[in-house]
Amino acid sequence: MNVIFTIITALSALIMCVFEPSAFLPALLGGARKGVECCLTLFCIYAVWMGLSQVAEESGLTKRVAAMLSPACTRFFRTGDSEAVGAISMNISCNLLGIGGAATPFAVKAIGRLEGEKNEYAQNLLFIINATSIQLIPTTVIALRAAEGSAAAHDITLPSLIATAISTGLAVAVYIFCEKIKHRRAKKCAM
Amino acid sequence: MRYVIPLIFLLVILYAVKKRVRVYPAFTRGVKSAVDFTLGLLPLIVCVFIMCEIFEASHLSDKISAMLSPLFGLLGIPPQLAKLALIKPFSGSGSLSMLGSVIKTYGADSYIARCACVMYGSSETVFYISAVYFSKCANKKRLLPVAIILLSSLISAAVACLLCRIM
Repeated sequence: MNVIFTIITALSALIMCVFEPSAFLPALLGGARKGVECCLTLFCIYAVWMGLSQVAEESGLTKRVAAMLSPACTRFFRTGDSEAVGAISMNISCNLLGIGGAATPFAVKAIGRLEGEKNEYAQNLLFIINATSIQLIPTTVIALRAAEGSAAAHDITLPSLIATAISTGLAVAVYIFCEKIKHRRAKKCAM
Repeated sequence: MRYVIPLIFLLVILYAVKKRVRVYPAFTRGVKSAVDFTLGLLPLIVCVFIMCEIFEASHLSDKISAMLSPLFGLLGIPPQLAKLALIKPFSGSGSLSMLGSVIKTYGADSYIARCACVMYGSSETVFYISAVYFSKCANKKRLLPVAIILLSSLISAAVACLLCRIM
């Protein structure tokens, strides 16, 4: 992120310095304002879902959901931390239901727990699953198409599902493959 | 689908009542942790948005997407959508407004607009997510996963365009 931020900011500054120097500061301020507005929107989403998830947690509901999914999670993410497994299962359930806003706090919690056991493999895997978007029904897009007078706003559901399944599946497979190669190389070096 | 969220709320609250958990204080504690959580994210999100804004304002994004559009063409992605494919990893709201304008320009049921919808639905704002997810990690250098995600998003965009042509 550091490299990307530095390169993009410097290049953009250079270009704007040459072509439209007066638009530079307004753009920066506008960006900051958009960031704050985004945080406000996010806070509303997090407040609702973290409030509810706290209730679910204190009543033991989260543990019950996690217990159902934990055998699969434990193997796939190679973690023994039951709280991390709970957060991961909640994250994936929220993603599948299409409440992406609720998924983020669970993911951050899981990643924090995994940091405790230095499990970078599981952190990256969870990041990949979330960043390639696993969603059963693309609600936002359907709403947008319906608003613009589409005859069949829902007809993109199946292609979207296939495309997102391919991207998630592919990314997970490539990552696991890369990890295996790394592992093998490390073994060879040790020998 | 619209019943799912109210039902989830009802279910969680009923379960909590059954287990004799005090719902209001628990909910308040959850919101309190949401405050801390959001405040922790604020600096990261503001930085990402500033970067995206000048990336757009300097027309650097236009130049890069013009450069990349032959490559996108090779993968079967229409050149009109090159910018959408490029912006999506950076900015959710930016790409959503771009999707809106594509739908308006070409009509909701056109091939281009359907491609754009599937592309939009099958990828995520990678840089923003990586900033949020790894905010508390010691190791912030996650080049391999980010590279893999960008590559697979590109492939899924190509697949999206192909699927729209046949379905």
